[in-house]
Amino acid sequence: MSDLIQYTFNGLVVGSIFAIAAVGISLLYSVLRLVNFAAGDFLTLGAFLTYFLSVTLELNFFFSIVVSMLAGMGISWFLELVLWRNLRRNKAGTLALFLVATGVALMLRPIIQFLFGTETRKFNIDILKTYDFLGARIAHTQLLVLIFASASILVIALFISKARIGKDMRAYANNPGLAAVSGINVDRVVLATWLISGALGSLAGVFQGLVQGQFNNSMGESLLLSFFAAVVLGTIGDAYGALVGGLLLGLFMELSQLSFFFGGVPSNYKPVVAFATLVLVLLFKPEGIFGYRGRKV
Amino acid sequence: MDAFVQPGFWVFVLALAGIYGIFALGLQIQYGVGGIMNFGHVGMMAVSGYTIAVLVIKYQWSFWWAAFVGVVLAALLGALLGLTTLRLSGDYFAIASIAFAEITRYWILNTDSVTGGTQGTLAIPNPLGFGGYTNQPDLILTWISDRLYPIVGDEASRDMSMIFIVWPFLFLFIWIASKLQQTSWARVLRATREDDDVPRSLGKNVFRFRLQTLVIGSVFGGIAGVFWALQFALLAPEDFLRIVTFYGWMILILAGATRVKGLIIASIFFGFLYGSTRFLEFWPLSLLSSPERAYLRVFLIGFVIVLLMLKRPQGLFGKRQEMVLE
Repeated sequence: MSDLIQYTFNGLVVGSIFAIAAVGISLLYSVLRLVNFAAGDFLTLGAFLTYFLSVTLELNFFFSIVVSMLAGMGISWFLELVLWRNLRRNKAGTLALFLVATGVALMLRPIIQFLFGTETRKFNIDILKTYDFLGARIAHTQLLVLIFASASILVIALFISKARIGKDMRAYANNPGLAAVSGINVDRVVLATWLISGALGSLAGVFQGLVQGQFNNSMGESLLLSFFAAVVLGTIGDAYGALVGGLLLGLFMELSQLSFFFGGVPSNYKPVVAFATLVLVLLFKPEGIFGYRGRKV
Repeated sequence: MDAFVQPGFWVFVLALAGIYGIFALGLQIQYGVGGIMNFGHVGMMAVSGYTIAVLVIKYQWSFWWAAFVGVVLAALLGALLGLTTLRLSGDYFAIASIAFAEITRYWILNTDSVTGGTQGTLAIPNPLGFGGYTNQPDLILTWISDRLYPIVGDEASRDMSMIFIVWPFLFLFIWIASKLQQTSWARVLRATREDDDVPRSLGKNVFRFRLQTLVIGSVFGGIAGVFWALQFALLAPEDFLRIVTFYGWMILILAGATRVKGLIIASIFFGFLYGSTRFLEFWPLSLLSSPERAYLRVFLIGFVIVLLMLKRPQGLFGKRQEMVLE
């Protein structure tokens, strides 16, 4: 029983981080038809920049997170201006978008390594403090992440459903032509999508760094496929779906370690559970849990 | 800068170019002919490389028989990938193919008793105990370099022997691939790239054609793995990261997606890029330490990919309309 609580709790924590990262990827896909292969490295960047500001420069932790999110937005904005806008104008195909996103990831990674070094990092926060809850051990950092990540998820969901630009995004994703003629400023929608995904990338990176305790510069990259799994599970292009898909995937990855699931998956195969989920969803329900069959896959 | 005038440097560049040229040729057949975006190509190279290592070290097989089995297994992995996920549309298949390659790598990483795990093939147990990496690749390469010695003198080396093994194969495969492109088989596939419905209405089984393409491309990925194992002798899971697939894609888009002959120049360029970053001593690069210069290679490869897609999506030798969506 305590195992069940422990893994459910872990799953919620991991899942809420997946949800935040996945919603950025899903929004980008819905608006730009772009699979953002660089999303993982934006997490790494957020975590390392926050480390640099809060530990090396000893600035306030929350202030550091905000600056990192702004940096993620700034880089996304810059890339939209120099890259993505031109590619759209050139009518670049799927392969070109794929390869450019990968190219950005390949360029970002050495820059992070060059600026912040290759050593393993750790935030200036007590990672050993734990609470006892019905026999489960709950780390202080996990609890913090769960609270702040849940709050962020609520804000994101409200933003997409209520804010003007959020509505514009959904309208544009649904029918770009119709949205453009009904007076939606397309460039503004695209830019807003990049800014949101940049900010969420950094935020998810800080959360992931906190939960792991220690992190290195391959952190985000190694999570990328798990995010894709969450996106596909929650129906690709559906922002609310990505939130739910992230939570479900996190829960599934953790609960798969319990013995009732084929004797329990060894913890070093956890990423494989995500990859396998990705492949299985693509095989049997490629439209995701919220999609309908008619969607062209 | 001295390094660039040394023949040894260029011999290494050419050896590497030959291996990755064959690797990229597999992608070229898949994408250039069949329109398949395979981003998990590195998995085929990993499977054949590791099969060879395990069979040779653990079971004392001869290198060439092990190589044969390695390539067959790479083809089977390609068939498995295709049978399960090739019905998906382009971007979904691309993601699924990465997942396939990553599952392969995690399996290698976590099956210590078979593959040596994180320690690499050095840790594969064999009847003679641990650490006994086979000297078979060395024997093969030394045999050739002994024969080269009377001709080129002290320049005879492992890398040069490698060139004599890999480049004849590269030329042979490029010749086969260019013949393949002129067959009616390739014409059907080119039609499926534009539109599935037309060839389907002519009674062609589009899925089977694309599956064949994927398997043929995987065979080339597997063969590249054979030469990789021969060249580097030691394998570790981090040699088969996702990025290796994009080495191949860089060569492919540099050459132009359907330009078989451009591959030769593009792979030599890649070999140069790969081999040269540790020798670039001039300012401002001299400020970087040597591990930092290793990241420079990754950065440059990303940069070349982005620049090509932005400025010349058809590659150096390709046709523009093949890369642009109407």
